[in-house]
Amino acid sequence: MDKILLKKALPQWVKKLQTYRIYAPAKDEDIWTYEAVNTPEDIDLEFLITALSPKKIIFPQREVYFEFNKDDNDNPDIKETIPEDEPTIVFGVRPCDAKALTLTDLVFGGDFEDVYYWKRRNQTILVGLACNTPPSTNCFCLSVEGSPHSKEGLDILLTDLGDKYYVESLTKNGVKLLNLAKNLFTPPKAGDKKDLQKIHAESEKKIKKQIKNLKKVPPKLKGMWDSSFWDEEAMSCLRCGICTYMCPTCHCFDINDEVHSHTPLTGKRIRTWDTCQFPDFTMHSSGHNPRPDKASRLRQRIMHKFQYFVERYQNYQCTGCGRCITNCPVGIDIIEVLDKVRDYGP
Amino acid sequence: MDHNTYIPKLAKIIEIKEEVSGARAIKTFRTQFLEDNGFSHRSGQCAMLSVFGKGEAMISISSSPLEKDYLQFSILKMGRVTSALHETQVGDIIGIRGPYGNSFPIDKWKGKNLIFIGGGIGLAPLWSVLNTALGKKQDFGNLSLFYGARTSKDVVFKQELEELKNKMTVHLSIDVEEPDWKEYVGFVPLNILDKKPSPKNSITITCGPPIMIKFVIQNLQALGFKDEQIYTTVENKMKCGIGKCGRCNIGMHYVCKDGPVYSWAELKNLPQEY
Amino acid sequence: MVNVEDLRKEAKRILKEGKVKYVIGYERGQNGLMPKPAFIKDPEDVDRLIWNPTCVHNLTKFLVDEKKRKAGEKKPDERPVGIVVKGCDSRAIIVLLQEKYINREDVHILGISCEQTGVIDEKKLANKLKGKKAENIELDEKGNFVISVQGGTIKVPAEELLAERCLECRANYPVVYDLLLGDKTKKKVEEPFKSLEKMESLSEKERWAFWTEQLAKCIRCYACRSVCPMCYCDECVVDTINFAVTADTTASEKAGKIKWVEKSPVPSENFVYHMVRAMHLAGRCIDCGECERVCPLDIPLRFLNKKLEKEAKELFGYDAGFDPDEPSLVSSFKDEDPEDFIR
Repeated sequence: MDKILLKKALPQWVKKLQTYRIYAPAKDEDIWTYEAVNTPEDIDLEFLITALSPKKIIFPQREVYFEFNKDDNDNPDIKETIPEDEPTIVFGVRPCDAKALTLTDLVFGGDFEDVYYWKRRNQTILVGLACNTPPSTNCFCLSVEGSPHSKEGLDILLTDLGDKYYVESLTKNGVKLLNLAKNLFTPPKAGDKKDLQKIHAESEKKIKKQIKNLKKVPPKLKGMWDSSFWDEEAMSCLRCGICTYMCPTCHCFDINDEVHSHTPLTGKRIRTWDTCQFPDFTMHSSGHNPRPDKASRLRQRIMHKFQYFVERYQNYQCTGCGRCITNCPVGIDIIEVLDKVRDYGP
Repeated sequence: MDHNTYIPKLAKIIEIKEEVSGARAIKTFRTQFLEDNGFSHRSGQCAMLSVFGKGEAMISISSSPLEKDYLQFSILKMGRVTSALHETQVGDIIGIRGPYGNSFPIDKWKGKNLIFIGGGIGLAPLWSVLNTALGKKQDFGNLSLFYGARTSKDVVFKQELEELKNKMTVHLSIDVEEPDWKEYVGFVPLNILDKKPSPKNSITITCGPPIMIKFVIQNLQALGFKDEQIYTTVENKMKCGIGKCGRCNIGMHYVCKDGPVYSWAELKNLPQEY
Repeated sequence: MVNVEDLRKEAKRILKEGKVKYVIGYERGQNGLMPKPAFIKDPEDVDRLIWNPTCVHNLTKFLVDEKKRKAGEKKPDERPVGIVVKGCDSRAIIVLLQEKYINREDVHILGISCEQTGVIDEKKLANKLKGKKAENIELDEKGNFVISVQGGTIKVPAEELLAERCLECRANYPVVYDLLLGDKTKKKVEEPFKSLEKMESLSEKERWAFWTEQLAKCIRCYACRSVCPMCYCDECVVDTINFAVTADTTASEKAGKIKWVEKSPVPSENFVYHMVRAMHLAGRCIDCGECERVCPLDIPLRFLNKKLEKEAKELFGYDAGFDPDEPSLVSSFKDEDPEDFIR
């Protein structure tokens, strides 16, 4: 269902959605983040790329699995803590970030569905915004089977047509949101549709960064496990978690007990984000570490995204958002690494 | 989708046996669930044990699925959680979730000779499959066990091993000579070269420290065993147990979900990341 | 004026003569104008080395890396490594020498004077460029940065683009070096702690509110710790497990490791992490500003360290990273040290 929404009518639409918890990009000095919207007038979709992707709403950095305590007889008692019912809308989702959620869906689905993830995922509606111009100089979505106007994973895609949005509702949930403010949406005119196509086509041309022949990378990686290539590439790596923590597709996590009181015992079992870039990620209790150095950890990041994930889920685990490039303190550039992999050796 | 696998089921410790004392202490625990929950495992699978307030550790289930009254775990005291387990008493309640992972393809081994090879605490994961095979002895050819420990004090399941000698061939070894030791002295891989088990119609199942596994496999190959005849288990640090938290992978395999049991034919093609 | 050719020449010489294992310097990066660390092993590669006001990184962290790598090698190459340092970075070397973390003969220092300016702040530059792509940046004689962009140039007074720390810099040329490029005239800095004034004028309540808001953003990627040359501990208080495990480490020792900080990125834990780090840097931080630069969520971490630098200066007359022979602040006691700080 395609519609037109005047930009000035956006706050009115948002007002009609007040039974939902609403997130939208907000600017904090130099960075954009998704914040809860209190006043609909505050929604500003003239944003660039957010520091963290909306992954943080579906898969928050900290999730409480359950609370535990011991009763008078020293017997433990467990209270499961499933996220509350809180229908949510996220405005201003970039197509790369929406696609990223379709990838974390693969991980948290499957044989053992992750109850916490799906509770949040199923109650969240994603309203996307097409990237008429690349929101970051490091965007490369086209190289990883994405596009600046991709609809994948979205419920609604908005495209900025100047003083109005071209609104494509893509799912039942999307249609539902439009129906809550029917009078604000008008059918698109023939000219609108043409403008849309033109803007979408042009937006693709504006993306400067690309990885050529990415298809050659996964088979190439297979033969590079023992290569000294990783030592060279990782020389400047600082072992921080930026590349993975900022990544919209990275899903690794840790589980720990946090104790609030020892006698009587009360505490929580908690999931937090974790990263393959930290040395304790794989270290055994014995002290043995199968990934003992930063070269093996850079290799894991690249191979996970461009070989293992492809083998397991038939997708690259990367949507070209460019955050890892923009934020790496020492300029490690995943595009450059993949270019070198593709051209490596004979 | 209402099943939340992260929530452990409560179980009571009904028996604790001290196998090895000292710095590398090993204890065997038997547990019973407080409520029947349909927990059913296959030999080779693991379970995530919880000591609330300390955390979780993935431990292989050493009792046979044929044993319906309890689950058994033999645990080497190694870090935070296993130390806490060693401090528990009979009657204490712990959490168990699982079972996780694949299992030994015992149905494929019917009619074959099974050679179990264990070192140290590595006898625990073997114990389940060994007892399952013993329970269905008529399904298999000869059963034999090679087991070695650092010293005679480090030998686990001492009494059970003595009893086992009546049911199958048992080759014991310790690493360095001791006055009263009458069996083989030397590492497990050397004991294998010494006894020369025949590869004919045989399957070997090896479990122990990585360095032992490496040389056992080399020596088995020297004796003519094919990669498909050699099975082993892999261990990596684990947290979720269900292939999501991302830390136990070797290549595209998550050891928690796709392992821990591998034939050497499979394992040799995976990166050595364990 | 610093001539980059002099740097390349010297790098080539020490590599060719086998005096150093490799040279750590700057080279062009892929991410816009920003350079990246370069590790040059082959004397023929020295032309990759660059020097310009975008060379912000404090490369001395890689000396820590080198030491750790060497410790794991059976037969390490004992030759020094060559390293390009600015004034501030050289102070980090002084601290590492003072703390006996490295020895003077481990490092061949290629010092570069920032002369009367410094390095640019990437975010300030981005705000000036307003989406334009910078191709080059140079300093003219009048103290302006001249930025080449597509179809022209933009001229900006240096102080509008310089990193905050450069405006308060007290080491505009290296304090230790084997070769010095550029002018050795001390830059006059009237108010070395001016950036603190605003924070210091706030009430305790306002400061608490400020830091609560700022540290709530922290995602604990530990980039601030990772980039800091003073954060060289094998095991950090925030690590959940022991890293220094040997065959002799007992299970009880591992089980007994105290969890000072939980992994949850909640305000209480984030505060502990950042406070511990700040305290451990008191009298050691040399204000290279890297922690703040690398923070992906723009937490103004420099305030914390700058404040402690000021305390060290005012209470003990101590300046970190100037004199390798002086004992470090926390390992020394002088009769004239004030005692009221402890009350």
